[in-house]
Amino acid sequence: MASEEAPVKAVQVKLVLLGEAAVGKSSLVLRFCSNDFNENTSPTIGAAFLTQKCRLENRIVKFEIWDTAGQERFHSLAPMYYRNAAAAVVVYDITKAASLEKAKAWVKELQRQANPNIVIALVGNKLDLVSDGPAKSVDEPAEATTDAEGDDSTPPPPSTTAQPSSSDSDDLRQVSTAEAETYAKESSLLFFEASAKTGANVSELFTEIAKTIPMESLAPKPAQGAAAAGGRGGRQEQGRGENVQLGEGQQAKKGGCC
Amino acid sequence: MSLPMHLRSYREKSRDEVTREFFNVPTQEAIPGPSDPPAISKIRGPGHREKEGRVMLQSMDINAVLSVEGKEEVYAGRLSLLPPFLCFISLDRRSCRCTLPLYTIRRVERLNSRAGVFALSLATWHGMRIILQLTSLLPTAEHFSILLRDALKAQLPSMKQLKPFLPSLYSEFLITAPTAGHTHAQTDHLLLGTELAEKSQAAAEGEGDLRGPGGHDKGAYERGLGETFGFPGDARKMRERSKMKLWREYFLVHGRNLTLLRYPPFQRLLQVGLPSRLRGELWEVMSGSVYLRFANPKTYSLLLSTNAGKSSQSTDEIEKDLNRSLPEYKAYQTEEGLAKLRRVLVAYSFRNPELGYCQALNIVVAGLLIYMSEDQAFWLLEVLCDRILPGYYSPSMEGTLLDQRVFEAVVGRCLPMIKDHFAEVDVQLSVASLPWFLSLYINSMPLIFAFRIVDCVLAMGVKVLFQIGLAVLKINGEALLEVTDDGMFINLMRTYFSTIGDSAHPNHPDPRVRAITNFQELLVVAFREFNVITDETIQSERKRLRAVISDEIEKFSKRAAVRNLKAVGRFDKDQIGIIYDHYFSAVCSEEAGASANPLKPGDQFDQPRIQVDAQGRVETRIDLRTFKVFLSEIATWAREETVTTNAFIQRTEKKVADHEMIDRLFYSWDKQSQGTLSLQDVVLGLDTVISAGLMESIEWFFNLHDKNKDGYLTKDEVIQLSESLLFIFRNEPGDVYLAAVSKFILNAYEFGDATAPQSSVPSPEDRVPINGEGETASESRHRSNSTAGPHNLPYLNLATFRMVVLADELLEGFFGNDLPASFQLGRMEEEDYHQHHQKPEGILGGLMNLVVTNENKNRLNRLADGFGAALGKHAEWRKPSLNKTIPSSPNLDLGTRESLLVPGQNPGRARSPSGASQNSTASSGHGTPETRSLADVEARYREESEMVRQAQEAILHRPNFAIDAIGDSDGEDEGGEDDTGVMDEVSRRQKTIHDEYELIDIQVEAFLKAHGDDDEGLKGEQKKVAEDLMKAEPMGGGKIKASGSAGSNLVDL
Repeated sequence: MASEEAPVKAVQVKLVLLGEAAVGKSSLVLRFCSNDFNENTSPTIGAAFLTQKCRLENRIVKFEIWDTAGQERFHSLAPMYYRNAAAAVVVYDITKAASLEKAKAWVKELQRQANPNIVIALVGNKLDLVSDGPAKSVDEPAEATTDAEGDDSTPPPPSTTAQPSSSDSDDLRQVSTAEAETYAKESSLLFFEASAKTGANVSELFTEIAKTIPMESLAPKPAQGAAAAGGRGGRQEQGRGENVQLGEGQQAKKGGCC
Repeated sequence: MSLPMHLRSYREKSRDEVTREFFNVPTQEAIPGPSDPPAISKIRGPGHREKEGRVMLQSMDINAVLSVEGKEEVYAGRLSLLPPFLCFISLDRRSCRCTLPLYTIRRVERLNSRAGVFALSLATWHGMRIILQLTSLLPTAEHFSILLRDALKAQLPSMKQLKPFLPSLYSEFLITAPTAGHTHAQTDHLLLGTELAEKSQAAAEGEGDLRGPGGHDKGAYERGLGETFGFPGDARKMRERSKMKLWREYFLVHGRNLTLLRYPPFQRLLQVGLPSRLRGELWEVMSGSVYLRFANPKTYSLLLSTNAGKSSQSTDEIEKDLNRSLPEYKAYQTEEGLAKLRRVLVAYSFRNPELGYCQALNIVVAGLLIYMSEDQAFWLLEVLCDRILPGYYSPSMEGTLLDQRVFEAVVGRCLPMIKDHFAEVDVQLSVASLPWFLSLYINSMPLIFAFRIVDCVLAMGVKVLFQIGLAVLKINGEALLEVTDDGMFINLMRTYFSTIGDSAHPNHPDPRVRAITNFQELLVVAFREFNVITDETIQSERKRLRAVISDEIEKFSKRAAVRNLKAVGRFDKDQIGIIYDHYFSAVCSEEAGASANPLKPGDQFDQPRIQVDAQGRVETRIDLRTFKVFLSEIATWAREETVTTNAFIQRTEKKVADHEMIDRLFYSWDKQSQGTLSLQDVVLGLDTVISAGLMESIEWFFNLHDKNKDGYLTKDEVIQLSESLLFIFRNEPGDVYLAAVSKFILNAYEFGDATAPQSSVPSPEDRVPINGEGETASESRHRSNSTAGPHNLPYLNLATFRMVVLADELLEGFFGNDLPASFQLGRMEEEDYHQHHQKPEGILGGLMNLVVTNENKNRLNRLADGFGAALGKHAEWRKPSLNKTIPSSPNLDLGTRESLLVPGQNPGRARSPSGASQNSTASSGHGTPETRSLADVEARYREESEMVRQAQEAILHRPNFAIDAIGDSDGEDEGGEDDTGVMDEVSRRQKTIHDEYELIDIQVEAFLKAHGDDDEGLKGEQKKVAEDLMKAEPMGGGKIKASGSAGSNLVDL
């Protein structure tokens, strides 16, 4: 995935993962980053930091992922991580209704406190625990869609995700797709149901985020370390040469601080 | 949502506590007496009691000179008796220190010596003889030795426990084990081995552990997982053997474990890294956790057995993190290792339920358990959480946040370029430094190095974390100035830590210089360049920033709590904020705590107020008692306001009222019947009452008294309802309310008899079970006589009740306006609690604070009352509840009252707080019989104003006392506002008095200043001595300097 000789410059995107403890934030990141995942699977103290590149047709997006601690007492530290973030993934557990409530609280907080242009994706994790649920219960055309989703072969666009599964068949599911999707639509969030375990919808999630982020609002990643010589100012100069809209972008990025 | 109420009860530590902390000595309460049962969980707040029957032994400091038999060095310093410990620190605060538990002292003798020299000889358990020369004046020295004798006597029972305890320490095994010359070479060759043994064991060492010789069966000492699974690092490279040899020699002269003295070599041995097998013991000795383990031998196992099988939010969280705790270490890939880790964390979460479990503790404990047994690690964990890293792991993590801020501040001071650069590129230091502090670097760098930092933290305190952090930044300074975002910063730090074992100067021609690793360089920079960061630096920075942090946390948790409300009723955001403020201040209030048993501030944390909700989240909920405090702030009738006028001032005292009515309200708002209310419950509850119209008010009031919710009040309940009404009206002047309530009862019975269901269907047998079911125990206790009687039958329904209410103009007005209006959402005065309460610095400020504490205020008030009473000028009355409604709009208030009251009876205005008492008195025409109580009050008012005047005159003619001035600081606050409408003459008089007081104030200030100067002079002198000593080349520090350039043989053997 990491192709150094790609003609396009990697664009750096700061992404933060939020959500209740044990909804599987770290697992999602692990799944997404596993291509070049190394020994740093250490527990999350405050937040774990990982990077992963994501390739689109016309550009490469380099995600800098902050995987925050889910424990409630770390909540007050979260602003440190989501400030200046261009994207946020708010995770809940589809088998735990309360986790969606917490996710909603996170969304509210992000919308009030974080960068105003932040792209927020709502992700219902642990789809594997109920994955045959929708397939069994929904014997309408929707079945095809769900299967595809589960197989991870032809990921459907998020808007056409599975129809609400009748909750009586898969008893583990506590949050229906429809409920979460309606909420996501109301709050203009990207929405996915995914499984870190099977990998379903994981890369789709990050690709969709990469697509959705208004690229003009992001500065291209300055050439590694040393090249940003001169420290201050150096970066701006350099950036200006490559990206016309950078001036605005810089502002947007700085302005994100609450 | 749990609220950070403990932040408000923070108090600075007392001197005794600071000293105890310095010597790593637990407070006396933490040490159970010999007969006490082991304390299973720390009971804070209400349970915090002075132990009866246990005499708190007196502490004392004295100047002394310490020497040890067999050593030439003599150190002048300060000897502190902190029962049951005797502690010494040399004047330079680093060369020599010791903490001797008194139970390790076998014998104390006064030495025969030259006249004027008072010397004691202490023989310790380990046979060491310590000579203490008490250099203070003879009587002081004698007093000290008497206290010492008493303290020693009290420790006799503990001495018996010493013998069985000592074998748990590895140093005992080390000293008693046969030396290399004997046949037991296999046992201890690793420690004192010959060349031969070394060679034969090379293979085992190559594996990088010290496994083997100790094994499971040699020695009964407490051991960590390392003994079984191998210690991290290459034992040979770490020179374990030579280190062990040096420690053995050190122990022989300077005592060991409980009687260990820290002499200059100790510091050197410490900084080269402790030998793995001795590390656990030295950790607990240096941190003082060994004293807790000694004093509480059964606590850990009892905690585990009494809580076996219990699960909690903490245990769930622990379970999730077990597999993420140093997974690279072999033992934590086995069930044995994980089980140990689980047990220690779980036991601590039950020991300290308010803290429970915090991520990062898993890492710390996993680290400890490599070198320590479970019992040892448990007590060290307690010392870490309580003393070394206070508040780091608490539910609001205020200690962590505070120290991060402190770290930023010291970085700003020591490395301003880095700070400026980070500010410019908008990168936060904490992004990287937070885990350093939270996990003591254990998770940040390779274990062998991290544990050497832990060695220093446990020996020298938290300042080491700051010093290392500064050194890391300084060493990477140039690269840091290139950093442009968080990611680069993190990556840079990661790279540095992963190469910390590499040579710091890989290209240097001199091989000795090449051998210096990054880590050695780090330590040298940390301890040499940043030794300016002292405990005092950190303390003063913490003090400076604490208020800011507390404010931030409170605001943050307020925002979160308000945001997390699922329903807000008809309130807007500001009103919710106000409700939150009252709720929170009620939780924090002293009345809500154990009022009978005044809490020690700093320790207050009432368990029942934190609950785990249905989703397993910790939640702050309030119990009935706290609710009463809350309601008294909101509802006018839920408090007793006593207005007291004495010779000096008029003041209003608020007290929480108590009535069954309030209990009913509490239980009716408790929708989930949990016995406690959440903020959500309170918001919804208030919503139903505060914005209710006439009909709604009547309805909820009716429902409040309809115990079994069958839509009918029984006769008993009608009576109870009337009692509630009378309770609300209790302080209203005049008889109209009493009359209205009597009329109400009469009407209710009249209408009730006409409409009651059982008159048409007289089947009491059917009804009784239903009622019985609906009744709670407490209720049936009250109504024990009403099991089957007609009093217990459905009687009055809502429609009838409404009719009865509407029949009375006064009640109609009450339900329509006064009742909803009696709930008032006034803004709290203390918006920025901590900012306001940040106390002024300096001795003057300190003294002023002493004067203005609540307690003193009360005392002064009592004193003033006393004066007033003596002069025959003391009066009190209760403020009525209802005519104070909507104080912000007096006109509306007036209107309300008029609709309520019979014409000619208009006390609202005259009695309203802003109304000028003198004026109304002058124009008083309310001599009508109905208002006689009102007239009484006014007469009293008049009388009192006269008294005030007289008293003031009296004061003018009296010689001035300092106490008057102090009293006035109070009077000005409260009296000042009341003055506004007062007659000119009075205000002029008061002004004179104020002038007088000001004069006195000046005198007091002068006095305080003089006093303060005195004290500062003393300080200055001490400082000078200390400064002189600082200049003197310290024994340890000097060596480090020398070694820094010449190679690193000191920093690493």
